[in-house]
Amino acid sequence: MNVACDWAFPLVWAQQSELDSIPWLKWIIVLAVVFFGIFPGIVAYTVWGERKVAARFQDRIGPNRVGPLGLLQPIADAIKLITKEDLVPRSADRWVHLIAPVLILVSAFLVLPVIPFGVGLAAVNPPSGLIYLIAVSSLSALGIFLAGWSSRNKYSLLGAMRAVAQLVSYEVPQVLSIVPIILWAGSLSMVTIFDKQVLYGWFLFSPPGMLAFVTLTIANIAEVNRTPFDLPEAESEIIAGYHTEYSGMRFGLFFLAEYLSVFAVSCLGTAIFLGGGTLPWPLTGEPVVTLGGGETLFAMLLLNLPLIGIFMAKVSLYIFLMFWIRATLPRLRVDQLMAFAWKFMVPLCIINIFISAVWYECVIRPSKPNYLLGWGVTLPLVVVSIIGVLALYRSSMKAEPVELTTGSRRRSVVRSVS
Amino acid sequence: MNQILFGVIATMGVLSALGTVLARNLVHAGLFLVAFFFLIACQFVMLEAEFLAAVQVLVYIGAVAIILMFGIMLTRNIQGDDTTTVSRAGFIAGGLAAVGLLTVLIFGITHEEGRSGRPAWNSVTTRPAIYPASARKSESQAAAINNMGLAVGEDLLTRYIVAFEAAGILLTAALVGAIALAIQEGPVSDDPSDRVKSKQNAESLAADEAESLLTSSRA
Repeated sequence: MNVACDWAFPLVWAQQSELDSIPWLKWIIVLAVVFFGIFPGIVAYTVWGERKVAARFQDRIGPNRVGPLGLLQPIADAIKLITKEDLVPRSADRWVHLIAPVLILVSAFLVLPVIPFGVGLAAVNPPSGLIYLIAVSSLSALGIFLAGWSSRNKYSLLGAMRAVAQLVSYEVPQVLSIVPIILWAGSLSMVTIFDKQVLYGWFLFSPPGMLAFVTLTIANIAEVNRTPFDLPEAESEIIAGYHTEYSGMRFGLFFLAEYLSVFAVSCLGTAIFLGGGTLPWPLTGEPVVTLGGGETLFAMLLLNLPLIGIFMAKVSLYIFLMFWIRATLPRLRVDQLMAFAWKFMVPLCIINIFISAVWYECVIRPSKPNYLLGWGVTLPLVVVSIIGVLALYRSSMKAEPVELTTGSRRRSVVRSVS
Repeated sequence: MNQILFGVIATMGVLSALGTVLARNLVHAGLFLVAFFFLIACQFVMLEAEFLAAVQVLVYIGAVAIILMFGIMLTRNIQGDDTTTVSRAGFIAGGLAAVGLLTVLIFGITHEEGRSGRPAWNSVTTRPAIYPASARKSESQAAAINNMGLAVGEDLLTRYIVAFEAAGILLTAALVGAIALAIQEGPVSDDPSDRVKSKQNAESLAADEAESLLTSSRA
């Protein structure tokens, strides 16, 4: 299987160079079609999908008035948002108020160019793409902070405070659960990570890989401020958090950025753990191996259409998982949120890096991968470390009953203010 | 093309640095500083060091700027918009000190001489290293550019290992010190307005503190 893949790569790269010979055309296509057309469209229908899914979970029907199945609802919403008045509060810091949503949206957009949607379909392929991705996604914390600060509203400021504390805390486990991938792929380039997964199978299919995938998913949900981590915009406590004072399309930009980040983190999880556009285990090399031949534009399309289709199917599943969690779990308290990040996620992720090094020694470094040994050694290690960290976390939470009282008191303080 | 780009980026960098110093509102000054950090990252890209550019954005904008903003909000009044005023005498003294430092730096760098007959520091390419140079893999400049993460990582863990570890110990000590300062030992106070929490994590303490500070100042 792995040997069979080797011949495919020179051919695949040859196709890439054909498109590279017309870089300006490629850039115009990428910018105009994908970034201004497809991604906002995906966002619009993610919102529609979320409303439908959430409605089904609550035994409702969801949007069904505008167009068949309510499919035109996002367009109606967008028109409504654009025609609404764009207000800036009189006491707000005008320029910072205007810049903040743009900064968040730019951060969400900048993540997407390095995602390899297919062979040769990453808009740019910097050798340190993963670091770039983490760097630009950390810009959104600044935008959220500025949005909350510039509004001159206590709810906005509260939301911004919560958001920044949460984003900074959960960025640590997010990055730490990416580290095993860097170790296994031996590269920071997203395209190289995709190619390695074609050769070695999805990085998900190993005990440390599964653990890292779960921690990455939890950290991702926290990073995009979705329930159960939606404290920054908790409607029942602080109105809408950092975007309370925004209206019209400027609020729409926050909305767009939020769902675009949902899409972006799903793309990240798919690209680095779920093998991008490849099929699961017995057919890992497909469809790259079978369709890898040929150097024409037609062959490239033939190869990439199934790749993009599978990629998008995985991304949809990942987003659906987020909807599911949102419809199921209640919101956490601030102290629970922080304790969970620092006392459970971070130690577990650090231990997992060592376990993934064991997996690397058993499976990836030897010329003949020994999967049985790898599973036999790392699976007990993963189970023991999860149980151990969980027990430590439980005992540390039990030893501090004072935290419970402060948390409930804090909520009552907030309530009395509002 | 590169010259023009460099000129534009450098000019914007100097302007935002000036903005950092001259802005009266602290959060605006912080924003100018973020712009300056970003333009430094642009200069790294111009030097084909995109790894360093990404790290610059990650560390300085993603972490340092955020901590800075937090610091402004926790230490001064919560909106951070009390405009600071500088007396004229302080302005003149600060300006003189800055010009003096600039003169010393320019003179020192351009007129630097080697110690005891050796060539000047900025004209040699080899740097003192713990790890013998012969044992290192000889890597071309092109390889370093194409996989800068690898090159930087290898250098950090071989050539600059002492500096790297020293910085790590220093940062750990700072972290432990911060937590030791933040923890308030002793029993929980009966006064409900007193926010005493024993043995709580420093980060959650910071977040809680910010919130309770905010609520108490607004209530």
